[in-house]
Amino acid sequence: MDHILSWICFLPLIGMTAVILAPKGNNTLVKAISLVATGVPFLLATWLYFSFDKTTASYQFVQRFDWIPLLGAQYYVGIDGLSIALIFLTTLLLFIAVPASFSIEKAQKAYYALLLLLEVGILGVFISLDYFLFYVFWEIMLLPMYFLIGIWGGPRREYAAIKFFLYTLTGSVLMLVAIVALRLDSGTFSIPEMMNLARSGQLTGASLPGGGQLIGLEFATWIFWFLFIGFAIKVPVFPFHTWLPDAHVQAPTPISVILAGILLKLGGYGMLRACFPLVPTAFRESCFALGVLGVVSIVYGAYVALGQTDFKRMVAYSSVSHMGYVLLGFAALTEWGYYGAATQMFNHGTSSAVMFLVVGVIYDRAHHRDLNGFGGLAQVMPRYWALTTLGFFAAMGLPGLAGFVSEAMTLVGAYSAPDPVFKLFVLISVIGLVITAAFLLWAIQRVFLGNLNEKYKDYTDMSPREIFCQAPLLFLCVVLGIFPFFLLDWMEPSVVQMVDFLKTAGS
Amino acid sequence: MDRYLADLGLIAPELVLTLLSLVVLVWDLVTKGRDSRQVAYLSLAGLGVVAYLLLGQWGDLAATGGKAETVAFGMVTIDAFGTFFKLFTVGSLAVVILFVLADRRERKHGIGEYYFLLLGAGIGVFFMVSTNNLLLLMLGLELLSLASYSLAGFHKSERRSAEASMKYVIFGGLSAGIMLYGISLLYGLTGTIDLNEMGIADGSGWPVGLAAQFAQDPVPVAVAIVLILAGFAYKVSVVPFHFWTPDVYEGAPTPVTTFLAVASKAAGFAVLLRFVGALFLVEGVDSTVAAYGERIGLLIAILAAVTMTLGNLSALRQTSMKRMLAYSSIAHAGYVLMGLAAMTPAGFSAAMFYLAAYYFMNLGAFGFLLYFEGVNKSEDIDALKGMGWKAPVVSIVMVAFLVSLTGLPPTVGFYGKLLLFYEGVDAGLGWLVLIAALNSVVSLFYYFRIAKALFLSEPAEREAEPQPFFTGFLALLGVGTILFGIYTEPLQNWSETGTDSLGIAEASE
Repeated sequence: MDHILSWICFLPLIGMTAVILAPKGNNTLVKAISLVATGVPFLLATWLYFSFDKTTASYQFVQRFDWIPLLGAQYYVGIDGLSIALIFLTTLLLFIAVPASFSIEKAQKAYYALLLLLEVGILGVFISLDYFLFYVFWEIMLLPMYFLIGIWGGPRREYAAIKFFLYTLTGSVLMLVAIVALRLDSGTFSIPEMMNLARSGQLTGASLPGGGQLIGLEFATWIFWFLFIGFAIKVPVFPFHTWLPDAHVQAPTPISVILAGILLKLGGYGMLRACFPLVPTAFRESCFALGVLGVVSIVYGAYVALGQTDFKRMVAYSSVSHMGYVLLGFAALTEWGYYGAATQMFNHGTSSAVMFLVVGVIYDRAHHRDLNGFGGLAQVMPRYWALTTLGFFAAMGLPGLAGFVSEAMTLVGAYSAPDPVFKLFVLISVIGLVITAAFLLWAIQRVFLGNLNEKYKDYTDMSPREIFCQAPLLFLCVVLGIFPFFLLDWMEPSVVQMVDFLKTAGS
Repeated sequence: MDRYLADLGLIAPELVLTLLSLVVLVWDLVTKGRDSRQVAYLSLAGLGVVAYLLLGQWGDLAATGGKAETVAFGMVTIDAFGTFFKLFTVGSLAVVILFVLADRRERKHGIGEYYFLLLGAGIGVFFMVSTNNLLLLMLGLELLSLASYSLAGFHKSERRSAEASMKYVIFGGLSAGIMLYGISLLYGLTGTIDLNEMGIADGSGWPVGLAAQFAQDPVPVAVAIVLILAGFAYKVSVVPFHFWTPDVYEGAPTPVTTFLAVASKAAGFAVLLRFVGALFLVEGVDSTVAAYGERIGLLIAILAAVTMTLGNLSALRQTSMKRMLAYSSIAHAGYVLMGLAAMTPAGFSAAMFYLAAYYFMNLGAFGFLLYFEGVNKSEDIDALKGMGWKAPVVSIVMVAFLVSLTGLPPTVGFYGKLLLFYEGVDAGLGWLVLIAALNSVVSLFYYFRIAKALFLSEPAEREAEPQPFFTGFLALLGVGTILFGIYTEPLQNWSETGTDSLGIAEASE
């Protein structure tokens, strides 16, 4: 099982080849292949989760060999407590995305092939420890996403697809410039080796012409901001979030699920893996700014969500708000903050996926998403009502459900931050929490309560396929709300080490 | 006598190519009016022989570190650098001839001189890229230009083709004059037309080296060099010498445009690299000259920034795919210039790698253009709407080319760009790299208009008649685009061997 990470990552690629080679018109076969090609990685990832050594912060299941010796790029993969949970989440959501896509009729072969290619890119980012490899996978994701939104999306899909592509590529090219400079200064693409250099304060651009300055900025400063913006666009952090509502609203339901559930996490994960630890001094100097961005995202995202009448747009803005907690947790630079941020990424992955599936269920029936156009659906769709309410409560952070644990930990972590201004940040964030509760409850009220709209009286309740898609996610929301140690134990050594590293390295 | 025979062996590829062009010409005359495809097959076979000879030569040169051997009293320099570009040219010529065969808008009879002109242009490139002698360089360049003028106007009854040819002649003649003036100035100042002697010779005897001239009065030397650079800049369409490019590229028959955009441009870069390398960077260069070299480097860096930005911004507005690719080729010239601006051996080999990458992705993109010119009878991007579903293989391959042209992994275009960025940052040109990176984002917007038209629109009503052979060939280029983006070693080794043979000194920190 030395190569298990490579198997998990590249099995979908084999599946993609099989989908492309499948005989024309046999869509059942294509769906079956896609189920297997996402299901097997899910099973392997589950096995991986339980054979993961929880006592160490070092990289596990490592595989390393030279790829492009002339440039020093390696195929270097491995996981630690920061990535293991997200790999599990990725394989789960992709496995769910396949049955959730069964209602798609158009060009199915191309759809499933792109979906599988997308999975390769995402998993590749989570397992890469070599920055070149990381970047290659990071970019591979863009192309399938562009086509998945652009071909199978809503009426304004062309606009949304290219907007998504342009925004993320802008971030990526800034990252690329920073990566090139880091490689030149450190002499390696290996992220752990760069971290070692950063720890002893050697990654300062001293070996570059002009001391590594760019457009008048110090090396560490511009490296940090270039990388940060690259990841922040993906998260997305205010003010880089404007692509998100468009992409979400236009994307088909399963793609929204993947977008909110995993792609946004890549931004947060990327910061933690490949931005903060490489320029820790610049990170510490920027904590205040990051905290401000986090708080603004929390409150602004929630406030805008409150004003939406489009169901999906509301959920999209709620993602901006929820991902703000991740940034706030990072900025606090306390262990609690990092536990909170890391679990928030996972829990938002499940709860936002549920919310988008919820929107998809009603959209498939009503073919519109106007929140004011529903009403009283609880009478005809009781199961749908129950599952939706559970999912929304999880997103809201109701005690006993997963969202509460991570948000509470983030806020506690931020409150105990050494900088007293974070206490103010926490106070402001609580406003965001209240607004979140308000728009979610208000949405439930408008959709499910009140008088039943005559148009909808013949609606059927959720089908077994729809329930199957949501059930595992809701199960995780409940279980992780009661037993959060299923996540925390796995990440503990890595988080402790990372926080210690970020606090002390380079000084 | 033996010496001359040995020399003839070294220029065997040139001789065979010249012979081939003559045979093609005679064959066409003898069989006038018959199927011209025979002429094409003959040319392809001949190019195969030339490629075989070149590969043999490459093997010999690479074994000895690619060092130069001179022929004909120092007129011709056979080194790995020149052979790299000759192979590049043979490869491009073969593809262009295949394009002529696949061009549905081209006649099948009585076009034998098409191939003769292409081979003639090839001979020009061969001599251009393998000499340190400014006179021979000029002759090669003119041979290439004359053949290109005629090729651009090959459809002489078509208004825009004739216009393209006319514009090309006027611009070309002007730039050749400017360049020749620069060469004559340089000759007058130094007393030699050999680049190596100019770079290295000191001021004590005759010929006078550049060092002494710079020490005495730098202005005339600088003027001469800038004039010559202007001539090269015209050939590779660097802003502000690019005005001919869109019109000529649009008016010329598409296979000719392909030749101009790929082979002719690479040849221009070859002489540019050799010229700058031999004058300013060669081993043993005087420190005064090297100091002026740095200023030339800065000038090139600024030109690179302007070229890529203007090329990309102009491409944004185009509705014709052919015109868009013309502007995109201007932008790519700007990227390649980055490697030159670095003024280091590694920067030069990055530029060569990028040209190799450019070979795959640009030939592919032009092949796609040709394919759909045949299907749609139009070059408009709008005419591609929904055709991706009708001709899926060629369209998917096109997406690979577009991804590579934008510079996204895992393609050869990405790796080439990465190398250029890398050498740029290493040479302290971080600002230029940042501009180039942001330019990639701009280019994404117009490149993906093609992908958008192909796949994001509803399937078209029309059917695309299958062209299995042509599709297969484009797919092959597509495989090359992706394969060499993952397995980069061969191309990178080749460009490094090529640069090594220029004898450029490592930059002293």
